[in-house]
Amino acid sequence: MKYWKDRLPAVAANLLGLVALTLFLLASGSGLGVVLWIAVVWLMVLAAWLTVRCCLEKRRLEGLLKQAQQLEERYLLPEILPPPVTAEEEVYRRLMQLAEKSMLEKIAAAERERKEYREYIERWVHEIKTPITAGKLLCENHRSELTRELLAQLERITRYTEQTLYYARSEHTEKDYLIREIPLADLVHGAIAENKYLLRQNQVAVTVEEMPGLVSTDDKWVRFILDQLIGNAVKYRRENPSLRFSCVSGPGEISLLVEDNGVGIPAADLPRVFEKGFTGANGRAVQSSTGLGLYLCKRLCDKLGIGLALDSREGEGTTARLVFTVNDYITGVQG
Amino acid sequence: MPYKIFVVEDDPVIQAQLLTLLTGSGYQAAAVTDFSAVVPQIEAFAPHLLLLDIGLPGASGFELCAQIRSFSQIPIVFVTSSNTDLDELNSILLGGDAFLTKPYNPAILMAKIAALLRRAYPAAGEDILCWKGAVLHPESGKLEYQGRAVELTKNEQKILCYLFRHPGSICPRADLIDALWDDQLYIDDNALSVHMSRIREKLSSIGLEGFIQTKHRQGYRI
Repeated sequence: MKYWKDRLPAVAANLLGLVALTLFLLASGSGLGVVLWIAVVWLMVLAAWLTVRCCLEKRRLEGLLKQAQQLEERYLLPEILPPPVTAEEEVYRRLMQLAEKSMLEKIAAAERERKEYREYIERWVHEIKTPITAGKLLCENHRSELTRELLAQLERITRYTEQTLYYARSEHTEKDYLIREIPLADLVHGAIAENKYLLRQNQVAVTVEEMPGLVSTDDKWVRFILDQLIGNAVKYRRENPSLRFSCVSGPGEISLLVEDNGVGIPAADLPRVFEKGFTGANGRAVQSSTGLGLYLCKRLCDKLGIGLALDSREGEGTTARLVFTVNDYITGVQG
Repeated sequence: MPYKIFVVEDDPVIQAQLLTLLTGSGYQAAAVTDFSAVVPQIEAFAPHLLLLDIGLPGASGFELCAQIRSFSQIPIVFVTSSNTDLDELNSILLGGDAFLTKPYNPAILMAKIAALLRRAYPAAGEDILCWKGAVLHPESGKLEYQGRAVELTKNEQKILCYLFRHPGSICPRADLIDALWDDQLYIDDNALSVHMSRIREKLSSIGLEGFIQTKHRQGYRI
């Protein structure tokens, strides 16, 4: 419809020309029949021309739209369009190219800025680790009630720092793997050691069941995940907190269970705990919840091919289940 | 003769505290003083084990490791704050024996050092601990006194081990529990008391009465 509207000036000009010609011909003494004949032919040619062009244009433009929709990165559209037919189109194409160029520059600048920012965060995390280590050693060499409290706080600082690092890195984590076969027990005891003073200060009763299994994974990532889970267990504790680590072997997989007897997660919040920034009822009560810990855990687990599920009853406690697939392929290659 | 450990670390506080920690654990420790000549200092000290940072003024830890490996096979522990897998891989390829990232748990560091030393310099015979005629065999979990022996559980043996390693001095309960946690025994104050009374029963069954003294509000002493 719009097409026909756009053509109105052309039609009007033609009609005007036709009327002028008719008047001129009548004035110069041509017969009415001849004049009518000319007018009918003129109008027929005009109508045919407009209709054919309408169909051709429609097909061409629809083709372009389809092409654009199929394109993954649509901002590159001006680069792949067929060469323009008319002078007008040429101008529009130039306009599009200008817009594209300035946008690409903006994107490049934003990406560069983000990269620099991420690198800065990573460098900062590495820098901060030196004073934390110095603090830990100082406390260890001057053991007292005070330094035990301080060590617990230093462990919290460490956990938040690690969280920052993994958040900054989580986009290109695929470059940062070192998969090895590690006893599951080593991972658990390592994570407990990292949080020793925090657990001790909060009088958490820790039990570690027998863990015979070996898992093929990246130990520092799993350590990070366990760190976050332990941190949560301490944060959302109740009276006489306890933390139990156990393991269940199934066909082709080993599950590590981390059970606490804390406040638990309301059933309504449970499906959303892995969402970024979700804090839920517990988070609102505790204040210091960032809604990042479990989100990062889930992301890392997905990348490492570890299943992560939370099971919880409000007021009774939470059980986290980490499911490692036992990969026969890796052992086969190494053997 | 105590094992000698050399520390290559550029942060002065960490360096000083590491030396204190290592000396306190019965090692002979020294640290680098001049970063333009690290290797000669290591050669002069002739350590049994080396703690090596990666980010150093002058040559990096990796370069140093490669240089050291050209003349010595001593255990090298990389201790660094950059925990990328590339660094870890590099450290393994260059002949490092362990890789710890800051902020490490000092207890874990000490355990790693002890394990590496044990592996690199295997001692002849079984490691036994003696005090006042009582002999503790940590490997088999047995305690002997005047020809009579008693079997210990793993946990009891861990507790006694700590006391035997600090003979004659008062061991505060909190320190003892800290050390037991490092030894993967996660007990609290009450559980420690329960374990203690069981150990005392076992001790008296082989004629060791009053071997462990309780110092009120201070701790235990053997």
